[in-house]
Amino acid sequence: MSALRIDYKIEDLFDFKLFLPVLALIGIGLAAIYSSTVNHPTASGNFEKQVIFTIISIILFFTVYSIPTNFFRMAAVPAYLLSIFLLVIVLVAGKQVSGAKSWLDLGAFGFQPSEFAKLAAILAISAFLSRTNSNIENFKDIIYTLTIGFIPVGLILLEPDMGSSFVFFGLILCLLFWKGISLFGLFVVLSPAFIAVSSLFGMYYFLGGLSLVLLGLLFFRKDIFFSGSIFALNIAAGFFTDYVFKALSPHQQKRILSFMDPYADPLGAGYNAIQAKVAIGSGGLFGKGFLQGNQTQLQFIPEQWTDFIFCVIGEEFGFIGSVITIIFFIIIFYRIIKIAYSAKDEFLSLVSIGILAVYFIHWIINIGMSVGIMPVIGIPLPFVSYGGSSLLVNMIMLGIILNVFRTRKYYT
Amino acid sequence: MNSSRTILIIIIVFIAFSLLIAKLFDIQILKSEELKYFAQQQQTKIESIKAERGFIYDRNNNVLVFNRNDISFYLDLRMANMETRKKVAAKFASVFGKSEKYYLNRMQEDKGNHCIEKKAPSEKAILLKNFTAEGFFYEEDPTRIYQYNSVASHVLGYMGPDFTAMSGVDNYLNLSLKGRDGIRLVEKDARNRMITISEQETRPAEPGNNIYLTINKTYQSILEEELRNGINHFGGASAIGILMNPNNGEILALANMSDYNPNRYWEFSDDDRRNKAVTDTYEPGSTFKSFTLAALYDQKLCEDDELIFVENGRYRIGNSYITDTHPSNYLTVREILQHSSNIGIAKLSQRLDNELFYKYLRGFGFGNYTSIELPSETKGFLKKPNDWKGTTKAYLSFGYEISVSPIQLITAYCALVNGGILYKPQLVKKEVRKNGELVKEIQPKQIRRVISEQTSAKMRDLLTNAVEKGTGKNAKIKFVSIGGKTGTSQKLIDKKYSKVEYNASFIGFFPAENPKLVCYIHVNSPKTAKYGGAVAAPIFKTIAEKIVNNDLQYFQQQPADLQIDIAGAQPIKENSNNDNHSTVLASVQNFEQPSNHTVRLLPGIMPNLTHLPIKDALALLNKLGVKHTVQGSGKVIQQSILPGEKIRKGMTCKLECQDVSVTGTVIY
Repeated sequence: MSALRIDYKIEDLFDFKLFLPVLALIGIGLAAIYSSTVNHPTASGNFEKQVIFTIISIILFFTVYSIPTNFFRMAAVPAYLLSIFLLVIVLVAGKQVSGAKSWLDLGAFGFQPSEFAKLAAILAISAFLSRTNSNIENFKDIIYTLTIGFIPVGLILLEPDMGSSFVFFGLILCLLFWKGISLFGLFVVLSPAFIAVSSLFGMYYFLGGLSLVLLGLLFFRKDIFFSGSIFALNIAAGFFTDYVFKALSPHQQKRILSFMDPYADPLGAGYNAIQAKVAIGSGGLFGKGFLQGNQTQLQFIPEQWTDFIFCVIGEEFGFIGSVITIIFFIIIFYRIIKIAYSAKDEFLSLVSIGILAVYFIHWIINIGMSVGIMPVIGIPLPFVSYGGSSLLVNMIMLGIILNVFRTRKYYT
Repeated sequence: MNSSRTILIIIIVFIAFSLLIAKLFDIQILKSEELKYFAQQQQTKIESIKAERGFIYDRNNNVLVFNRNDISFYLDLRMANMETRKKVAAKFASVFGKSEKYYLNRMQEDKGNHCIEKKAPSEKAILLKNFTAEGFFYEEDPTRIYQYNSVASHVLGYMGPDFTAMSGVDNYLNLSLKGRDGIRLVEKDARNRMITISEQETRPAEPGNNIYLTINKTYQSILEEELRNGINHFGGASAIGILMNPNNGEILALANMSDYNPNRYWEFSDDDRRNKAVTDTYEPGSTFKSFTLAALYDQKLCEDDELIFVENGRYRIGNSYITDTHPSNYLTVREILQHSSNIGIAKLSQRLDNELFYKYLRGFGFGNYTSIELPSETKGFLKKPNDWKGTTKAYLSFGYEISVSPIQLITAYCALVNGGILYKPQLVKKEVRKNGELVKEIQPKQIRRVISEQTSAKMRDLLTNAVEKGTGKNAKIKFVSIGGKTGTSQKLIDKKYSKVEYNASFIGFFPAENPKLVCYIHVNSPKTAKYGGAVAAPIFKTIAEKIVNNDLQYFQQQPADLQIDIAGAQPIKENSNNDNHSTVLASVQNFEQPSNHTVRLLPGIMPNLTHLPIKDALALLNKLGVKHTVQGSGKVIQQSILPGEKIRKGMTCKLECQDVSVTGTVIY
């Protein structure tokens, strides 16, 4: 750039307060994966695989960390198109794993395009919202944003993969929020989701939700035509949800219903929820010790190394281990918020907050379902759960964040 | 960027954090104990360790019954998807040499827990030791093996489904044989596979005791073979044979023809499986005359050479006639037994006081359980003197108006020829623990003295004479002298004595002077001949020949002095004076069972109701929860669910009742 060369300390270029907790989480994850697979008849090789994934993902992380920050904005549209392409391919030629067609078979390794699509959607939406002439108060901009976001959601719902779709809703909402959408705008975006959820509980909840929306519309006092169309949109959302629910595969319907009462069907859909709670609860304050968790070692929770990895931590490392794990996440979230807040470039700030949304939603849903405050939606715990695609994409995202940190002072 | 929105995001993250921590605190600290308990409950199971059932041996340590430790394999079809099923089918096809399709088709037709292979022998099971699959599990499923198939089947019994002893010694001595199941606490994984066994919580199984029977397998085989030959030769619905040592009551062989194979019991009818020697009664006919005569001699009411007018073969008592097959005018007492004269014995019996006669018959054990170690025994039926009609005593004297079981009859005959002591028939010699330690050795049990030694010696003499010169001629063999009595009785069919259906029987003993073996042979409805002397005696003869040849020395021995320990046996002769009515009654009461009928009730097994007053029978059925219909009144003579049969839900037992009396019929 210029002759004026400032000597940055290494701390200024690399956020250790963000990176070290991530490494700690990966370490905890490897321990938990080892514990849950070492005695398992078919999954005992997963630990070694995850070690390889970890090495690859750290290399990828540093690559992404090092590349010029401009690259991300340029890559937004191609990445988005590629992700849509992959999502279509997976629907046509994907491999079915436990009821969902979400895997692309690449020889030795499978790949989940939906993981990559999250990052692509973040980049694309952020790029769209950070256009120079963008106006978030413009209804059209909101609709475009939603459209960019919902194309992958629609494709992912076709797989069907409830969990990932849920993450998309969250990240779209979060990006709109960060862009500065007004309270009314937020209401317009959120109310259909609210109606959608309430319609799942039955007719009366649906009608009750609609009357709340009506009250909201009265509160904002917009013109009658506009209010009317928003109300119609809400009704449509309710019926659409009902339609989608009926179109869901029975095991997914059961999962949603079992969230309302897991003990109603203890051997069926609620089984995992109960077993997870039992595993974590029986860990007590200090846990049963590494490799000593009976629930884990006796395989009461199927595929525990993926979505129910937190049970291993809860059972073997107890309340203390669980809280430490959660605090590592909180540190990570706080650092990302700080980076997003301090980033001078709107695009990079939006991308950071989008990534935060992805981490956060995965975190709250995953741990929430393990302890029983969230429905059993199959999404992994970032950095901790077994799974190559998830770890690679999460580390790429982390690379972007640290890249933003590294160059935070370049952009004005 | 907008700092208020940043704060809002921080607040949301903080709320989420607080929620998770609060929930974790709730389940890991507050509810921890409860969930730990729940976890332990589902991870550990109390399993019972099956105790090995005791073996059964004959008196010479030949093993008759043992167990094969088979294993049954199951698949919980609710847990097994198509892939697992195929995997299981392929594995089993390779081990058992059946086609994969066979297994898959059977899985298709079943649901829930599906038995893939039942009772697989251990050499096959070992090949599946390390095989695992979702929902796949196995259970020890031992099989009772009856080494010699049908040999002694009625004595041994059989094991029904679920390893339940259904009859025979296996059932009667179930408590000794079954042992005590152990328990262990095992840790199981979610697929129900055993992971670890908690040592301190384990109580080992105590194996059942081995039982040594008094049965001699060689004699048993001889008996069965000859009964089979006899049926083939003479025709007949069934045959019964018992061999017994008169000097201690040990049963050496007991067989019913036709028999069954306990290893494949389900292929046979209930009738084949029933031990008729113990559960069924009949009117014994002429074999019973010996008891009448013994009572007379014991009371010194007749002499060998006393002449009795036998009415030229036709004698009217009450409304009916008694006839003899070989009419004569006068016969000596000795000849009456020799020719088996009904008229002669009927007339002689009139010398006996009713109560006294009854007392002797009770003394010989009639109308009472012998308490042999077999289930579903009947006690037969002996009328009490109060119920006797004018003709009863005459009919009783040659074995009518009474029903006895074969085991009762041979037990009584033992007392008749062994010096006068009634022994309890004994089937079990000793009980031994698996480690060889003796639990108990069963000693011969003397019930009572029935007749004096002199009377017994007299009976041996008279019965030997009956074989030497009389109706039992066909029983004679070389080398060893035989004593015995034939019996031919008409069967009571539809309340009338049949002219074509007979019970042909023979009871013999040898050596005649010092009996070491009593043998009872009974052929039910023989076709080619009807008399005991013509049908049962020849069967007896071949059996006796074979047994004597088998052990010539033992049976040819010179008669030693009879040494019978009379301690404990109650002599009934003393003070029993004809005139002294009250003493007689007193001793009669000695033999009386308490008036309430004692029937051994096994849950789920039909008791023997025959001869029970109808109200008692109904009370029992109600207790067992069996529906019933009744025909007639008085005492039960027939029950549609036979004794020893397993009671199933919804069964109805038809009871046929009758006031047992015999009038207006002609008796041979």
